[in-house]
Amino acid sequence: MAGFAQGPATLVLDDVVRVYFSCRPKPDARNQYVSYAAYVDLDRGDLSRVVSVSARPILDLGERGTFDEFGTYPVSVIRDGDRIRAYYGGWTRCASVPFDVAIGCAFSRDGGVRFDKYGAGPVLAADLHEPFVISGPKIRRFGDRWYLWYIAGTKWIPTGERPEPVYRIRMATSDDGLQWDRLHRELIPPRLEADECQASPDVIFANGKYHMFFCFRYSLGYRGREKGYRIGYASSTDLVTWQRDDAKAGIDVAEHGWDSEMISYPHVFELDGQTLMLYLGNEVGRHGFGLAALEGDLS
Amino acid sequence: MKWTKLGLLFEPHRYSLPNGCTAFAQAPQALVFEDFVRIYFSTRTRDAGGQYVSHVSFVDVDRTLRRVIGTATDTVIPLGALGCFDEHGIFPMNVLRAGSAIHGFTCGWSRRLSVPVETAIGRAVSYDEGRTFARLGPGPVMAASPREPFLVGDPFVLVRDGVWHMWYIYGTAWLENRSEPGPVRVYKIAHAHSDDGIVWRRDGTAIIADAIGPDECQALPTVFACDNVWHMYFCYRYATDFRTNSSRGYRLGYARSSDLATWKRDDAQAGIDVSTQGWDSEMLCYPHVFQYDREIYMLYNGNAFGREGFGAAVLEQ
Repeated sequence: MAGFAQGPATLVLDDVVRVYFSCRPKPDARNQYVSYAAYVDLDRGDLSRVVSVSARPILDLGERGTFDEFGTYPVSVIRDGDRIRAYYGGWTRCASVPFDVAIGCAFSRDGGVRFDKYGAGPVLAADLHEPFVISGPKIRRFGDRWYLWYIAGTKWIPTGERPEPVYRIRMATSDDGLQWDRLHRELIPPRLEADECQASPDVIFANGKYHMFFCFRYSLGYRGREKGYRIGYASSTDLVTWQRDDAKAGIDVAEHGWDSEMISYPHVFELDGQTLMLYLGNEVGRHGFGLAALEGDLS
Repeated sequence: MKWTKLGLLFEPHRYSLPNGCTAFAQAPQALVFEDFVRIYFSTRTRDAGGQYVSHVSFVDVDRTLRRVIGTATDTVIPLGALGCFDEHGIFPMNVLRAGSAIHGFTCGWSRRLSVPVETAIGRAVSYDEGRTFARLGPGPVMAASPREPFLVGDPFVLVRDGVWHMWYIYGTAWLENRSEPGPVRVYKIAHAHSDDGIVWRRDGTAIIADAIGPDECQALPTVFACDNVWHMYFCYRYATDFRTNSSRGYRLGYARSSDLATWKRDDAQAGIDVSTQGWDSEMLCYPHVFQYDREIYMLYNGNAFGREGFGAAVLEQ
């Protein structure tokens, strides 16, 4: 692996916090990347200390013609009895647009070191009302129901060179995490522009409410500070109706340094009484991810 | 079963079709009217890059199924938008009446990089007697699933006792090979059912046993009931060297079922085979069976996957 540590997701173990992320070898002869999912174990008492790094990817890329032939990104993990489940975006390459994405599921029986796919195809793919780019899964369980927040593409914008997708946050629920009932509705209204792109909808429950952190950006010209990713916030009492209030996100780009141009792909988790956020900085994680701690309460 | 061939029914090069299509009339599908039969098919043009694009069109034939009385004058269903599953072609479109509407189930094609294509099944509806169709949504109703990783297509739908049944195909492998420039696909026939024709239940199990080995490709199932037995026709071929080598190209297969759950394959009972000469002497493919005026007809393609058009046959009863 040569660069990028994208889409962080955590699994809290006894002594370490296992942080899954996706990384990329150097691009191929056509300057195209594949992405693999791996992890780093951080000392639970001192998250700045790396204990170990996975020896190999947690998931194989798919076979020729399958939905995840060219990438497994991002990954979201959750405990399920004595197994760990992973949901991930599987990437394929297309002719008229650069890629398509669908969501796969995989199980680990060795504590999250290696995952076996639940079938060679996706558990959540395009459907009648969500025609492409089904990506960015975030898996949660509240009560006896599985919840999946994800993004769905709404259009490809022709740009003259590489078409750019517009995608929005959506939700599905399930009894078993395999057959999903989709809400078929955008959860978060756009704020920047009609074609605002939204990603990484990470939800936690605290103080009687559900809190969602996500990232959003302009649809075009987003590779710099002005139109690049920022972290947004919304809250809900019923998981379906969300009040967006980005002013409450409580985090913004820094003046200088690795997260001075953009911040994206938030993952929020609780650890030993603290609420923590992992997120990506400039160039969507080319140089790694960072950590922030919440001051006070989510309310 | 025994079929009497009626000959080549429609030759696309003799007609002016929408979208500049001049060759291929593939996978004919019938919609019966009182005085005529509307037969949908997929025909082709080439895009700016020289690659084939399939469009749905139709021809109306008289009630003897021997004479063409009209063709489509407008685009029957436009292709999908940028990045959609049906952006680069619709082939085929299965059409049926249910309730007060005419429904279309499409097999949409989009191009990939590591393999030539991916397909998925879409749904459309017509309120003008089948002249034009509109999608119910921009995406597919049946796409890849955990056990069906790619190439979900070739829908054939029947509504029976309020249940929507679909027979379709799904891909099982992309094979490296020496006879074709890229990987070649293997696909099998499966069955799904639904309460509304939109949300489908399926288990990704092949329902028709292979006759020529595990890499047999099975396509375009068509199902009908006769004498209290369900009958299925489909086409099958070898996975490689099938385009010009007649002995490895498409033939028609046959299976029967009494419960729609288990099927007994028996190609020897198909009752139709390639002719000794002429338009269907090298290949038989894309069968479609329907009932009209107490007769049971089969529409099908012959040589070169239907480049020269499609023909018909009638069941001896």
